[in-house]
Amino acid sequence: MHHSSDLRFSARTTGVVLRKEATDALRDRRAWFVALAISLLSGPIVFLLTSNFIAGLEEQVARREVVMAHPEMAPTLVNFLQRAGATVVPATDDYQAALRSGRMQNGVVVPPADFEARLARGSTVTVDVVFDESQDKAQAVVRSTVRMLEGFNRELGVQRLIARGVSPQLLAPIAINDINLASANARGARLLFIVPWAALIVAVFGALSVAIDVSAGERERGSLEPLLANPVPTASLVLGKWAVVFAFSLIIVVLTMVGFAISMRFISGETLSALMQLQWREITIFCALLIPFAALMAAVNMLAATFGRTYKEAQTYVTYIAMAVQFAALAPVFFTVRDAPWQLFVPSIGQLTVLMKALRGEAIGALDMLIPAAVCAALAAAALAAIAHMLRRETVVFSRS
Amino acid sequence: MIEVEHLHKRFAPRARGAAAVVAIDDVSLLARDGRITALLGANGAGKTTTLRILATLMTADAGHARIGGADVVAQPLAVRAQLGVLSDARGLYTRLTARENIAYYAQLRAIGAREFAERLQRLADLLDMNALLPRRVDGFSSGERMKVALARALIHDPSHLILDEPTNGLDVMSTRALRRLLLALRDQGKCIVFSTHIMQEVEALCDEIAVIAHGRTVAQGAAAALREQAGGATLEEAFVKLAFADCVARPTPSSAADTQPRR
Repeated sequence: MHHSSDLRFSARTTGVVLRKEATDALRDRRAWFVALAISLLSGPIVFLLTSNFIAGLEEQVARREVVMAHPEMAPTLVNFLQRAGATVVPATDDYQAALRSGRMQNGVVVPPADFEARLARGSTVTVDVVFDESQDKAQAVVRSTVRMLEGFNRELGVQRLIARGVSPQLLAPIAINDINLASANARGARLLFIVPWAALIVAVFGALSVAIDVSAGERERGSLEPLLANPVPTASLVLGKWAVVFAFSLIIVVLTMVGFAISMRFISGETLSALMQLQWREITIFCALLIPFAALMAAVNMLAATFGRTYKEAQTYVTYIAMAVQFAALAPVFFTVRDAPWQLFVPSIGQLTVLMKALRGEAIGALDMLIPAAVCAALAAAALAAIAHMLRRETVVFSRS
Repeated sequence: MIEVEHLHKRFAPRARGAAAVVAIDDVSLLARDGRITALLGANGAGKTTTLRILATLMTADAGHARIGGADVVAQPLAVRAQLGVLSDARGLYTRLTARENIAYYAQLRAIGAREFAERLQRLADLLDMNALLPRRVDGFSSGERMKVALARALIHDPSHLILDEPTNGLDVMSTRALRRLLLALRDQGKCIVFSTHIMQEVEALCDEIAVIAHGRTVAQGAAAALREQAGGATLEEAFVKLAFADCVARPTPSSAADTQPRR
């Protein structure tokens, strides 16, 4: 049904709808429980996981432990490693199984039985470094072990050249000097995409139950039919409802961010706080980016839920949206081109891109904030218009009833 | 006054290849002010669809309906302004109190606070529901829900009232309370239409009956007139004869018109 004489919009009616829906939502214990659980727990959980990860990494590299199978076979190597400040730990017999299961995350150095003899002959000795790449922490630890073995190579090679009266400089036509341009923050942000990702998810899920309640809930209760029989513009109904969903998710996003900020303070590991920039400036940027995004998600979730005749049915539809956002948000992790301009125009990818930038401690331009916000505002308006249109159609209001 | 002329409404087929469902074929009726008119019909006869068209929630494919002279399609806002609707599903908000439920509709219709308080008091007295007002609707019995929904439908003091199966699921006391209220409203000169399939209710309340069968009005008149017309001793007998005679006569619509004169 599409009446030309339908009222267009009334601010007063919108306010009435808003007040009613706010009262209703505030009394919805289920919604509050889920929302508070999500917002209060996500900060501590995310930080606990990431800081644990980094602390373990730090510890093993710092300890400079070299695990070696049968160290008695290679006393010269053991001597070098000890001089280089490492502790040589003999590997247990089942070290391969231990590596696979993740019980052990170092690489294991395996010298051959005739190590010393071959070394004395001056021929090349093959030393195996056994590790399991699928273990997250292995890479860093193995790299440091290999670096130490290369040190041994260099030392022995130089000694041999000198013994033959050759300048060791001949061996190194160029000197390689690593200068890692990734600042300490940038290195941390690479693995800490989980923080903005969690923030995005909160914006998606926070007000989900309220969004469903104000749309599919009306139908399930049978309250939509009498409501629409009032001389009230549909636009006002939709806008009033949306405002409450948006406000609800706003509260949750801000609570979550405060949770993030507080959790940060309790993290003892200096590495994490050095790696990731998450001070009040970043928290403010997070909020400024997430608020328009939450506005969009409120509208999109309501739109999806409007197709549902019951709460349960609506939940199914809304799940598709949530999945899409989650996968889209993960996409930049796999992009080879970082911060391409188009990314700002795609909701959830745009937010994540800028959030990562903020975490890396990079400068955030005005467009970084304005483009994602404008895209969100435009899409939210379109979604709300679509809902209003649907509510004027009897095939939607009375679908399958 | 509610005037309904030859309403026709068909629903699009649900599945590809399925036939369209004709919800109402040809419904006409006249409900006067100060009278209670029943829309009497079996389940699926088209009562709810007819009432939804009157409430401007659906648009008929053909025919006209006017409420207090306002056309339901051309002037929906004028129609909604003077119409109270009690739908089959009461549609209350369970986390709100009874008073808040009613106040919501009052505010949507821009009724001032003082006027709202006065009207609510009058309705609460009539429906004997003062104790319900401060309680949350969650956990209300169907009788209590009906009272709240009815008070909500009447809070703007509409001149016309349509009710879809209002006594569904009500106990004796609630049914009596409803009847009392409807009779009082009728005596105030309001135009009341309600749909039902319960004969006792019709006999106890209605001044006028429109019998609907298979989406068509097959007869309209007072209970006595219908009994006489159909030659049944009771209204039930008359109803069965009217409704099912039409079913038999359906293949030729003109013959139905001959045997069941319509007002």
